[in-house]
Amino acid sequence: MKPIVKWAAAALMLAAAPAASADEVLKVAVFAPLSGAAAGWGLGAKWVGEQAAKEINDQGGIKAGGKVYKVESIAYENGYNSAEGAKAAQAILNRDGIRFIIQGIGTAPVKALQSLSERQGALMMQVAWGKSVKGPQAPLTFTNSNTPFELFGPLFDLVKKQHPEVKTVALLNPNDATGHEVEEEAEKQYRARGYDIVAVTWYERGTTEFQPIATKLAQTHADMMDLSGAPPGDSGMVYKELAVQGWKGVKMQAAGTGADAMVKVGGDAVEDVYMGNAADFGGPAATPIQRKLNEGALKALNEPLNILQLGAWDGLMAVKAGIEKADSIDPKKVAKVLPTIIFESSYGPTAFGGMETYGYPQQMLVPIIVTQIKHGQTVEIARIIPAELEQRLAKKP
Amino acid sequence: MGLIAQLLVNMLQIGAVYVLFALGLTLVFGVMKVINFAHGQFFTLAALMIAVTMPEFTERFGFPAWVDYFVCFALALLTVAILGVVLYFVGFERYLRDLIGSFILSVGLLLLLEGVYLWIFTGAPRVVPKLLTGQVSILGGALETQRLVICGIALAATFGLYQLVNRTKLGRALRAVAEDREAAMLQGIRYRRISFYGFMIGSGMAAIAGGLIAPLTAISPSLGNDYLSKAFIIIIIGGLGSIPGAILGGFLIAAVESFAGYFLDSSYATIAMFMLVMVFLLVRPQGILGHAER
Amino acid sequence: MRSARAGQIVVALAAAAVLAFAVLGDDEYTQHLLMWTALNAVLAVGLRFMLLVGETNIGTGAFYGMGAYMGAICTTKWGLPFPLALLAGGLLAIVVSTGFGLVTLRTKGPYFMLISFAFTEVVRLIYTRVEWLGGNSGIIGIFPPQALDPWMSVLTFLLCGGLILMMYLCEQSNLGRVFRAIQNNDAVVETVGIDVVQIKLVCLVIASFSVGIAGSLHAHIYNVISPGDFSYLVPVFALAYIKIGGDANVMGAVIGAAILTVLAQMLQGMGSLEHVLFGGAIVASMLVLPDGLLGGGRRLLRLFSRGRA
Repeated sequence: MKPIVKWAAAALMLAAAPAASADEVLKVAVFAPLSGAAAGWGLGAKWVGEQAAKEINDQGGIKAGGKVYKVESIAYENGYNSAEGAKAAQAILNRDGIRFIIQGIGTAPVKALQSLSERQGALMMQVAWGKSVKGPQAPLTFTNSNTPFELFGPLFDLVKKQHPEVKTVALLNPNDATGHEVEEEAEKQYRARGYDIVAVTWYERGTTEFQPIATKLAQTHADMMDLSGAPPGDSGMVYKELAVQGWKGVKMQAAGTGADAMVKVGGDAVEDVYMGNAADFGGPAATPIQRKLNEGALKALNEPLNILQLGAWDGLMAVKAGIEKADSIDPKKVAKVLPTIIFESSYGPTAFGGMETYGYPQQMLVPIIVTQIKHGQTVEIARIIPAELEQRLAKKP
Repeated sequence: MGLIAQLLVNMLQIGAVYVLFALGLTLVFGVMKVINFAHGQFFTLAALMIAVTMPEFTERFGFPAWVDYFVCFALALLTVAILGVVLYFVGFERYLRDLIGSFILSVGLLLLLEGVYLWIFTGAPRVVPKLLTGQVSILGGALETQRLVICGIALAATFGLYQLVNRTKLGRALRAVAEDREAAMLQGIRYRRISFYGFMIGSGMAAIAGGLIAPLTAISPSLGNDYLSKAFIIIIIGGLGSIPGAILGGFLIAAVESFAGYFLDSSYATIAMFMLVMVFLLVRPQGILGHAER
Repeated sequence: MRSARAGQIVVALAAAAVLAFAVLGDDEYTQHLLMWTALNAVLAVGLRFMLLVGETNIGTGAFYGMGAYMGAICTTKWGLPFPLALLAGGLLAIVVSTGFGLVTLRTKGPYFMLISFAFTEVVRLIYTRVEWLGGNSGIIGIFPPQALDPWMSVLTFLLCGGLILMMYLCEQSNLGRVFRAIQNNDAVVETVGIDVVQIKLVCLVIASFSVGIAGSLHAHIYNVISPGDFSYLVPVFALAYIKIGGDANVMGAVIGAAILTVLAQMLQGMGSLEHVLFGGAIVASMLVLPDGLLGGGRRLLRLFSRGRA
């Protein structure tokens, strides 16, 4: 028990240290891949984190315990694997004494950080999918955007309504932590809706030649192809090859986060692809904050904003609301109040929920956005407000 | 029938580029006794250069796409040649015939160049505009026309290299050096010069492969890594330094990828390839067509 | 003989120094930095050990990973005591490396290098497909007993130091002399009636045992492992440590590991620049200091002493 006491003391001291100086700064971390194949996500999240910090500082900072804190958002490279993630976790928690992580991207590194952050009493907002990162055993971990467990049900219902003729589905996923978690949930949800799953296929991330994979998929003659967990560039290649080999059917990327790379690579072949985790933050359904951020991202990063990156904004806003409600920067106190409050996210008023799915209310309740590629553009066809959020908002006077 | 034809078409088309890539690697090894881990970086650079320059070119001059493609291809080859000359004279020349030293140097270059590419070109995938539209059917296997053309060019380049090595004076010198350096030097072959030529031709093969793959795939700074690990397998199977071996090995690996990828799973196909290599080395440690190392 | 004793003294002094640092440096992060350095040093020395017989063993990454997985399973699934988990990592590495060596050590040079490369990649891919090993997500929650927490860094140092010392002593013994003879000319060694393959096998097994134990330590220090942690880049980086520190003796590998581990942490968060600087450091040292920092330092010293005389 003793080391925990020691850590907690150290944590408090570190957290309290800035309070002694004139300008009180609260450092928060963005924990994401900044190099390699997934660098785009991380660099975007880093930028969004900085914008969110700027927004809060412009509005006077975070107030707690009679003090005012300015926020500084720092990005850490997690390399998309657990060893790099564990090293970055040490740097965040022990070297830099950061107690609030506003966005963690990548299942393997997030698990590495979590094993340390929960032990040391730091609060983490993240987007890793999979049930294992959540639950009563991890009360300091929160998820700041939708995961397959929230997305797939409403998405598949909508597609079933639009394409009642579809009977068979083939699935392709990258053979990694994220891919496996996505596949499991997709399979379950498809079966629950009476679909026949004719193939479950895997490929290695980093593959450049997709012809053999497309051949295998095309031979299944499935009515619908779901490339759920594949990165957009890869799916573009697969749909292109599928078109060459004469396959026609409903195209689905259930966990797809963006159309940009897919359209660039796949051209006409990706027309009408459904995506469950993409959004058009420049479109009419977006909120003014989201449109502003999207414009900025286009300028700064040359890419439109996606949901994972936006999570850094909502993560920091949740942390701010929690700190002010708890009137303390003790992560444990903040974690206790988070499930009880309603706060302003980039989507509008939001709360935490998900007790039924995870056994602990740690899932941010944000709209489920169903999009489709039309003329090479991401078009939102529905923003579905989670039922749980509607109830929560209705309860509030 | 349609399925088998499709798988064969896939195999031929993938194999043609693998062969080209692996040929360069095996040639460099034969002449310099260097396993160049940075070989894939020449490949990647060529593809990236085409992807970056081609849109500019099209916008400015408005020639047909294939004209732009060949001009940009030439430009890409030139860039790779400059990089090759620099790397050879600054680095590899000091580590000729030093397996471990050159390995570390090339791994350093692999990391350095990948980082530099990522810095300059960013990680977002790029594409080259379509050169030819339409598709053809071979015995029921479907293929884009441009893939067929590119496959043809790759086979022609392979044939060209084969002729160069077997029929020209330079080729004889390359083979002599690869087989027995001392004997070759006794016959008046200048080793350093020949090894430079070998390195440039080998790197050029990688660049040609990269230029050919550019219109067919999404191009990112890590494009070469996938090809590099497969090329290692190919040259072990074929025998290090053996040119016919690399050709055979290239198609064999393409066959595994195509058939095992279909009948098993694409991710098991990768495991199958590595397994194949290990079994192969047990039975025939010097590769299909290689000579035993002395 | 004198140089051998000098080497031993250096090793002992360094061990004492870092030990003191580990005890004194109460800062959690510094302690972790030192532990990572110690693990990387064992990797580098283990890889160098095989270089003594002239072989580049990229399989070092695979044996490190096996040690880590074995240790993780012992602790999280079987609930075995921590010392047993460490030992099990080493023992598994012995068993597998013996089999691997019997099969592959008939090849040498570039063939052995590439086959060990293939082996490392196969093993890594197999982890991803075995559900029991956590598949691609790996294994989480690998903690040493909580009572050990304050002592973990000291323990890591003693163990890693011990493993390095063991390999160092082997190198200084008669066995080490045979190793070097094989590196110089294995045909000559063969004529004296020594079975070269057998000696190489011994060399491989000793190195793998050390690396396997370090792997099990890795699992307990990082608390999480996943297949991606044990790719061919592990031995590649280890080779960089050796080259940058200097490959003439064990201390070079240790110094190289220390410098690059700390450098990598300083570059943390710089994205692609990290690769540029890391790769750049390797290339620069290959071009400017081919015998590493130790060799360069020695040359500098010689230059000074000559100047004085």
